[in-house]
Amino acid sequence: MPDVILKNLPFLLHGLWMTLNLSVWSIVLGTLLGLVVGLVRFVRLPVLNTLALVYIEFIRGTPLLVVLFITYFALPALFDYHTTAYRAAIFGFVMFIGAYLAEDFRSGLRAIRPTLIQAGLATGLTRWQVLRYIILPQAVRRVVPSLFNQYVRLVKFTSVASVIGVTELTGAGLLVNAREFHPVTILATLAIVYLLLCSVLSLAGRTLYARFAVRT
Amino acid sequence: MSDEPIIVARDLHKSYGTTPVLRGCSLSVKRGEVVVVCGPSGSGKSTLIKCINGLEGYQSGSIRVEGVEVGAKRTDLPKLRARVGMVFQHFELYPHMSALDNIALAQVHVLKRTRAAAQERARNLLARVGLEDKADAMPADLSGGQQQRVAIARALALDPQSILFDEPTSALDAEMIYEVLQVMTDLAADGMTMIVVTHEMGFARRVADRIVFIDAGEIVEDAPSEEFFSAPKTKRAADFLSRILAH
Repeated sequence: MPDVILKNLPFLLHGLWMTLNLSVWSIVLGTLLGLVVGLVRFVRLPVLNTLALVYIEFIRGTPLLVVLFITYFALPALFDYHTTAYRAAIFGFVMFIGAYLAEDFRSGLRAIRPTLIQAGLATGLTRWQVLRYIILPQAVRRVVPSLFNQYVRLVKFTSVASVIGVTELTGAGLLVNAREFHPVTILATLAIVYLLLCSVLSLAGRTLYARFAVRT
Repeated sequence: MSDEPIIVARDLHKSYGTTPVLRGCSLSVKRGEVVVVCGPSGSGKSTLIKCINGLEGYQSGSIRVEGVEVGAKRTDLPKLRARVGMVFQHFELYPHMSALDNIALAQVHVLKRTRAAAQERARNLLARVGLEDKADAMPADLSGGQQQRVAIARALALDPQSILFDEPTSALDAEMIYEVLQVMTDLAADGMTMIVVTHEMGFARRVADRIVFIDAGEIVEDAPSEEFFSAPKTKRAADFLSRILAH
């Protein structure tokens, strides 16, 4: 391992830990948000459906950096509350990835054949039970590849948090570089670490999908 | 067979947009009766039976199942549907569940049976349709005929008062049609009330008490099965029979 990395290893590892921390929280909360919004869109709940649509279109038309500025600067000023860069970053990532995941969930839900839904209803299950026991389990299995695709994107997106002052992996690397000036070594190391993280995540997604795929 | 009708449809009208599908259908089915509904494709057969358990709505007329008006706003459709089984053309087994779980699901969530009781009943029903060794099989690992027999078991699991069959053998290869028709014949012999949409005229002739012939959304003929096959009253029914029996 190059000296400059070795010397700053504890600092860089702390950055890596923060990247993982941001990713895990954003993935877990973003998936919950995406699932709820996707369901609202799928069953077309009045009012909420319109709100969901506005939210999704807003996020799709806004750069991630701007979303983080909104959650870090604009919303606290607007609603008069105190936040930290760490919390604002997770809030922003959750809002950002939630919109994309919602559309993935919705397309998975819509892919279930209407006659399969009728079959569930015909046995006396309520609409909610059909959704819970028949549609949702299949839809979730079906969208696993899309979900992990978004998760991989998110891990790389977390680097943007360095702009609002969260010292995650990229932020830590840039600080080390500012002190030591070894851009090639430091950036190559960052790239390799992100590549490893994303590969592990992709592999996990493929394994899950193969394990739980619905055969028809 | 008692004389009390358990399914009564009166002057049923339904259209998709401006296209009429059912144009004044009336039908009455007594407890224990087996009624075969036949007619050309697109004539409204499937729509008619899907109206009976409320899977399809209708614009005017009335359907009463065991005295309950299907189209009424206050009707508890899930409760009504649990008493009217349905078997579909393409089986529609839940692909993420084993055969056993397919049969147990509604027992647990609709009839509130315990999981153990539901599985016990499911095993008995699998044995009844000749698939006791397939409890843990996934639908994708079963043949079409086997899937359809599981689907029949799934309908029977709720102890329905009647069962609707929507072209149950149309998606099956010839050698599998027999095993499904055999299960249905046994059911009829046990006194189950059945409405069967099918093109299997041999089955209709052997098993049905009555044949209802639909063409262009109208019930053209409703006759005891022997009478329908030997002396159809209308030219449309006679033409249909000669076409379908020709091959």
